[in-house]
Amino acid sequence: MNTNSNVYTIIYTTVIVVVVAALLAFVSQSLKDRQDANEKAETISQMLTAAQYGTKAELDQLSNSQKLDKYAEEIEKAIIIDLEGNVVKELEGIDVYNPKLLKRQNYNIKGGANATGEPELPVFIFRNGRTVVPIYGAGLWGPIWGYISFEPDKATMAGAYFDHESETAGLGAKIKDDPAFQAKFVGITAKFADANVVDLAKGGEIDAISGATMTSKGLDAAIDTWLGAYAKYFLNAEEE
Amino acid sequence: MNAKLKETILNPIFKGNPITVLVLGICSSLAVTVTLKGALVMTLSVIVVCGISSLILSLLRNTIPGRVRIIVQLVVVAMMVILVDQVLKSFEATYAIDKQLSVYIGLIITNCIVMGRIEAFALGNKPWPSFLDGVANGAGYGLILIIVAFFRELLGSGTLFGIDILNRFGYVPNNLVILPPFALILLGCIVWVQRSIQKDLQEK
Repeated sequence: MNTNSNVYTIIYTTVIVVVVAALLAFVSQSLKDRQDANEKAETISQMLTAAQYGTKAELDQLSNSQKLDKYAEEIEKAIIIDLEGNVVKELEGIDVYNPKLLKRQNYNIKGGANATGEPELPVFIFRNGRTVVPIYGAGLWGPIWGYISFEPDKATMAGAYFDHESETAGLGAKIKDDPAFQAKFVGITAKFADANVVDLAKGGEIDAISGATMTSKGLDAAIDTWLGAYAKYFLNAEEE
Repeated sequence: MNAKLKETILNPIFKGNPITVLVLGICSSLAVTVTLKGALVMTLSVIVVCGISSLILSLLRNTIPGRVRIIVQLVVVAMMVILVDQVLKSFEATYAIDKQLSVYIGLIITNCIVMGRIEAFALGNKPWPSFLDGVANGAGYGLILIIVAFFRELLGSGTLFGIDILNRFGYVPNNLVILPPFALILLGCIVWVQRSIQKDLQEK
């Protein structure tokens, strides 16, 4: 058979691509539950890290089920609020917001063609009095997200943990890998009345990462956008 | 086992090692050798990807249209890399490692060893020798990775597989060893040792 004819080449590549795509789709579907369980436990450990229940390394020593148990033990209240700061509903059981859900809410906050409705903003209040809220945005190469915790005064940051999909190792990836960078958030007061809620820049209130300008800017924008969306909730809480 | 097959397996481990002799796969060997655990998972991933891709493409070798052979190779290698990544993400034990290796698992596809061996060997040989060639090249790559990671974790963190070895004797971990340039220095030392043993590699 002539394997160099145009018809053969087109049919051959089509068949191979379809077979590979079908196989990958099948594998992805059958492993989805396991991956989601891992991601859920990871999200919980990131929130617990932000709420200062231990360092990420310490929390990673726990198994998935231990992480879920710890969360169930330590969570006081998990609620969904709207942009006005009103409580829309309470989250039951262990219902955490993974990056996929955050991405959807990120579109809703920004509005535009990708928005699917009103933003549903999760707030997690832990038994140690700290409030954890997520952030989500664009880094240099892909999405970045994280969790920031606030002291009971609802203005002073108590801790933060950030994660990313594909930032440059050793530079942008420091938002996740460098505890010293995350520690810079501790004790800083968020200016909710201001558009620039947290001043993350070179020489700013929180010093940006050298060699990772775009990731730092993306993180700053993500924090300002998300904390801006939460502003009314936090400002109302301060007045009370 | 005949001599030729034995040569196929043994050559990539030392005499024709993909990293130290062919100098392929350098970038990932700098990036994933901070811990032994990471290096080990990377090694196993590359062995699986390299072996099975070679096997599949060797089985298909007489049907692949010559003009699109690189694309067909890419599709098969990419499929294997995604499968490995998906499997690593699915198990509790490997999930953290997968997160730590992050983009480097996905970047196995760009590892020159995989495509290089398919192009140079699998497309011209029967499936069984091709499979062994892929596995052996993955292992040769992994061997160097593990040697480098052994020194980097021991001197850079004072641990091996996360277990404290040197710190209990008052050793202060050397941060320079953690940084990528040190991996290059170590690799250079390994090439030096190999070339002084294997005189025929020395340029006149």
